[in-house]
Amino acid sequence: MLDFFTIFSKGGLVLWCFQGVSDSCTGPVNALIRSVLLQERGGNNSFTHEALTLKYKLDNQFELVFVVGFQKILTLTYVDKLIDDVHRLFRDKYRTEIQQQSALSLLNGTFDFQNDFLRLLREAEESSKIRAPTTMKKFEDSEKAKKPVRSMIETRGEKPKEKAKNSKKKGAKKEGSDGPLATSKAVPAEKSGLPVGPENGVELSKEELIRRKREEFIQKHGRGMEKSNKSTKSDAPKEKGKKAPRVWELGGCANKEVLDYSTPTTNGSPEAALSEDINLIRGTGPGGQLQDLDCSSSDDEGAAQNSTKPSATKGTLGGMFGMLKGLVGSKSLSREDMESVLDKMRDHLIAKNVAADIAVQLCESVANKLEGKVMGTFSTVTSTVKQALQESLVQILQPQRRVDMLRDIMDAQRRQRPYVVTFCGVNGVGKSTNLAKISFWLLENGFSVLIAACDTFRAGAVEQLRTHTRRLSALHPPEKHGGRTMVQLFEKGYGKDAAGIAMEAIAFARNQGFDVVLVDTAGRMQDNAPLMTALAKLITVNTPDLVLFVGEALVGNEAVDQLVKFNRALADHSMAQTPRLIDGIVLTKFDTIDDKVGAAISMTYITSKPIVFVGTGQTYCDLRSLNAKAVVAALMKA
Amino acid sequence: MASADFRRVADGGGAGGTFQPYLDSLRQELQQTDPTLLSVVVAVLAVLLTLVFWKLIRSRRSSQRAVLLVGLCDSGKTLLFVRLLTGLYRDTQTSITDSSAVYRVNNNRLTQGNSLTLIDLPGHESLRLQFLERFKSSARAIVFVVDSAAFQREVKDVAEFLYQVLIDSMGLKNTPSFLIACNKQDVAMAKSAKLIQQQLEKELNTLRVTRSAAPSTLDSSSTAPAQLGKKGKEFEFSQLALKVEFLECSAKGGRGDAGSADIQDLEKWLAKIA
Repeated sequence: MLDFFTIFSKGGLVLWCFQGVSDSCTGPVNALIRSVLLQERGGNNSFTHEALTLKYKLDNQFELVFVVGFQKILTLTYVDKLIDDVHRLFRDKYRTEIQQQSALSLLNGTFDFQNDFLRLLREAEESSKIRAPTTMKKFEDSEKAKKPVRSMIETRGEKPKEKAKNSKKKGAKKEGSDGPLATSKAVPAEKSGLPVGPENGVELSKEELIRRKREEFIQKHGRGMEKSNKSTKSDAPKEKGKKAPRVWELGGCANKEVLDYSTPTTNGSPEAALSEDINLIRGTGPGGQLQDLDCSSSDDEGAAQNSTKPSATKGTLGGMFGMLKGLVGSKSLSREDMESVLDKMRDHLIAKNVAADIAVQLCESVANKLEGKVMGTFSTVTSTVKQALQESLVQILQPQRRVDMLRDIMDAQRRQRPYVVTFCGVNGVGKSTNLAKISFWLLENGFSVLIAACDTFRAGAVEQLRTHTRRLSALHPPEKHGGRTMVQLFEKGYGKDAAGIAMEAIAFARNQGFDVVLVDTAGRMQDNAPLMTALAKLITVNTPDLVLFVGEALVGNEAVDQLVKFNRALADHSMAQTPRLIDGIVLTKFDTIDDKVGAAISMTYITSKPIVFVGTGQTYCDLRSLNAKAVVAALMKA
Repeated sequence: MASADFRRVADGGGAGGTFQPYLDSLRQELQQTDPTLLSVVVAVLAVLLTLVFWKLIRSRRSSQRAVLLVGLCDSGKTLLFVRLLTGLYRDTQTSITDSSAVYRVNNNRLTQGNSLTLIDLPGHESLRLQFLERFKSSARAIVFVVDSAAFQREVKDVAEFLYQVLIDSMGLKNTPSFLIACNKQDVAMAKSAKLIQQQLEKELNTLRVTRSAAPSTLDSSSTAPAQLGKKGKEFEFSQLALKVEFLECSAKGGRGDAGSADIQDLEKWLAKIA
């Protein structure tokens, strides 16, 4: 039922492989590695790829990966247990080979695991079959068949219905299946009389049993009679007098006077009571002036210190020895050890403006990567976890595809067509400003730029771009570049269709020989469905070479929502097989955050696309490219 | 008694006798001076000794016997690694971490060849630079593996990574020797090493212009990127300070799993640099 099961080392060597089908297993496993493990999404251990579901397990101590693949439509319950069993058995059987540092032992060792694996697979499949639904009991097996029919006949004539009610209630309360209760239940069930005749002999032989059962039944019946007596007794005194008022101890006194609102008073209390409340109303503090906001952080710190101090004094001796023990010698990391450190790191990341879900997923992935790993000597849990987190953050920020706009523009130049870049994003993130900065950069490198004003909604959008064009033209006049206009604005006023303007702009650029077309779109909220449709249409119709999402670095958890919805809108409205999604991110307003640089992580994690530019100000020179190590250093700084 | 012994010893050895009075005087002086001076002298000696040991250990560690296998994803580095070490064929997956092993160079002339440490680094974009950083200081040689069959499609990515590796290795103290191994020559559509060299030179020519024109990074403390080759002239690998060679190989070999790999040139090159 399994499609395949592979065991391979993290260095890439396949140690053992079981293939249930003839297809090779390298394709799906490579997809698993690339999308999950390398993008730090290793929180949950299953992954779907085309028609297969892949479940995996990492062994961080010996650097192995166990992957099992089966068809998506099947739901196999024994897979998790099977992976664990295989992991344990493989580790114990080949401990010497996999323990060594050098890869030679892995290469030279023969991992003849087929028989063991088949045995474990068979055991797992059988254990899942054991819990099949049980077959229904036949009538001969049931207890009713064992009892004589005579005992089920109602011989008493008094109130059979009451008996039925009481016994049914008791049966519901006790929910037991004792013999006598079952018989008492059976008695009301068998309302219709059963044939009496031929069972005489049976009754005589089981006389004592029946008598005992009848006594128990009488007892219960008697109790029921007592209960009914009690209920009647309680009814009697009630009818005698009025209901005594309930006294609530903790509540206010429900005096009739207070509850009577017919007298004219202000707010339920007479005027006399107001004078004593004036001081309370006024409060303590200066009357006329507004006081400055006083940071009461000292109180919190004091409370925290007080709480930590007694715990510190209690645990110093134990803590010291524990710390020493933790420092020296090799011990493997378990989830509990990492729990507190990971919580602290997660809070630290959230404090640095990383979106909350992403911080949680990142910490999960790091925990998965470190579980079972053997720490070296003189390294604490904190330092190991911090190191792993730093590596995964750098890994996330590394671009998955090439980030070289100039190289691609040169390519497009050779093919005699303009290179089209579209800027999209929500309102007020700095699209037009950064468009101007990028066009300045391109002009400095000798490319001619056509700016297409496809923001036909916001008042002053076209004028803004016109001003920028004028200034850029002054910096790069045609005389300096051999009579060629280096920068020009293409606009059609307000209220027109943005996709149409973009198409005309690109055609114009092709005719006039411009190298780059920068398309500025209107800002739109990600929830605004008609506007998102319009943006998707613009991108689908004009197929730009680069779709840049402009996001500000101040955004927090919103970044996740924005990017997901933008990508989804682009994917939904595209006709093509592989829809054009966001190709890169421009992170703006980077100078406004000092070291709360978490937005960079959130955005690259969601889209796994690189951050192409970083905007650090409002002048033309404030354009930078991302330095992954600097950003991660700022993030990890305490 | 002691003096009698001294005199006998002094009379006995000729050269020993001349040193003896010096040793005596030294001993007397040491005994006369304060213990603090003695302890200071001992401490200084200890510090000097540890410094010497440390230098020895560091020099031994950085003796640089590592050969790095780098390249894009799916270029065949791990299989090449396996073939060089054992000559067998193994299935491989995308590497997530590095693997290292000691490789004995078999020299036809010498019976016992030198040993090198082969290190196979992952080629995935998010990992490659991190691992290169970690291992580049101990690199004696770098083998850049290129997928010759898919070269036409990937030429820009290959060139970008090669540019990065060249810049990094130029910044090192002792420049490693470079080899660009054009792998997968068993595939019919594979490009030859000469063609790959020409194409890479053209790409690197444009790359050094675009890379230097890119906007500066966030922390402006980083220096300007080094220049590859000579300015003004077309880029050629011969212009570099490092020694760059090209050769063809095939890790899979003509007959796939059954046969041996076609890596004799590679082995000869490794024997040369060892």
